[in-house]
Amino acid sequence: MVASLTSDDTAASDAALVRRVEAGDEAALASLYDRYANLVYSVAFRVLREKPAAEEILQDIFFQLWRTADRFDPARGSLPGWLLVAARNRAISRLRRQNPPADDPDRLEVALPFNLESAVAQRQAMTKVQQSMQQLPPEQRQALEMAYFEGMTHSEIAARTGEPLGTIKSRLRAAVETLRRVLNP
Amino acid sequence: MNGHPQPEELDLLALGALDAAERQPLEAHVRGCVECQRRLEEARGRLALLSLSAPDQAPSPRAKQQLLERIQAKPVAAPVSGFRAWLQQASFTFAIASLLLFASTVWLGYANRELFRLNDDLRGQIAALHETAERQRQETGRARAVMDVLSAPDAVRVTLVAAQTRPLPQGRAFYHARKGLVFTASNLQPLPSGKTYQLWLIPTEGKPISAGVFDPDAQGAGAILLPPLPEGVAAKAFAVTVEPAGGVPQPTGPIMLLGSAG
Repeated sequence: MVASLTSDDTAASDAALVRRVEAGDEAALASLYDRYANLVYSVAFRVLREKPAAEEILQDIFFQLWRTADRFDPARGSLPGWLLVAARNRAISRLRRQNPPADDPDRLEVALPFNLESAVAQRQAMTKVQQSMQQLPPEQRQALEMAYFEGMTHSEIAARTGEPLGTIKSRLRAAVETLRRVLNP
Repeated sequence: MNGHPQPEELDLLALGALDAAERQPLEAHVRGCVECQRRLEEARGRLALLSLSAPDQAPSPRAKQQLLERIQAKPVAAPVSGFRAWLQQASFTFAIASLLLFASTVWLGYANRELFRLNDDLRGQIAALHETAERQRQETGRARAVMDVLSAPDAVRVTLVAAQTRPLPQGRAFYHARKGLVFTASNLQPLPSGKTYQLWLIPTEGKPISAGVFDPDAQGAGAILLPPLPEGVAAKAFAVTVEPAGGVPQPTGPIMLLGSAG
């Protein structure tokens, strides 16, 4: 089935490709990989900062999609939403040496506010998110990145930075308020 | 929690930044609130976009090749289609279900007996735990009562000395008319068989009241802790006499220790 990779799957929807993966179509999985591998790998690499470990997580996530595609319901969550959250959760668990989280598609439904099915849409979304992050004061951005990419809580960030706990809470609260305002479609 | 959480609280919950003390009440609210479940899902989706702020990186081409080799080693079972396939599937399913039903019946019978046995064991363990807890509670209460007498500022402290010329045997009584009596003795001579020491509370009015009997250990030490005594009796003195084993209602033997409470 890998031979059918030559067919044009770039226009196929995620839902259609997932249904083909469910039927054992390796080409469909390869298409989804081509569509989202960079995003998934970038998140894992941002957390772990180590190529082999990030590639291992990338492969594990797509392998899980291969095995459990029948549990994925596009009506309840978007595929890139699940891929991104699974990559973040798995990488953080590895970083903190915890057991991998239960991130089955039917247990982790994430509805992204943006469609990421095309490369153009992905670039636009990345630009918007990165610009939103740049709008944040540096100390708010730092606290937000520690929470998101390192899985740290308020008190852990306060301990790491040496800042008062109340200051960290205020920074994160302000950061998420800003993001809610600028990222809502 | 009063009312619905603020939007930023749900954002922080979705982000995973809340410590347990803040997270748990929020989670409890969300579990029972459909509206907040929907808002939390929105927050999760919005915050998942933060992944897109990671600098763009590309995995090596080898990663894709390894993935494809891995899935070829574990192909997904293709779904069966058509009526015949459905019939085959249904027959197979029915056979498996029958087998499972039979096995389940046998297993449930066994499991039921095991559960009854386990239940009995657990009841026994719980009863033993209750018994231990009650015993510890009583011991703690008694120790607290002893300390209460020893530390009461208004307790009478009496040192009892030998009634004869030998000063070595000694007794100490801590007495509070409502809280009770704690008595210790030292350097007492061993007694012949059939004899015992008996402690007496000598009230300001009336006859001596027995506070119990005791036999000293090899070092001549003995004690009587919180003996049953009528409450509120004012003590004039305490005495220890030698009496027949088991004690007597009123003192008959020689006075070995004596101390005034005045």
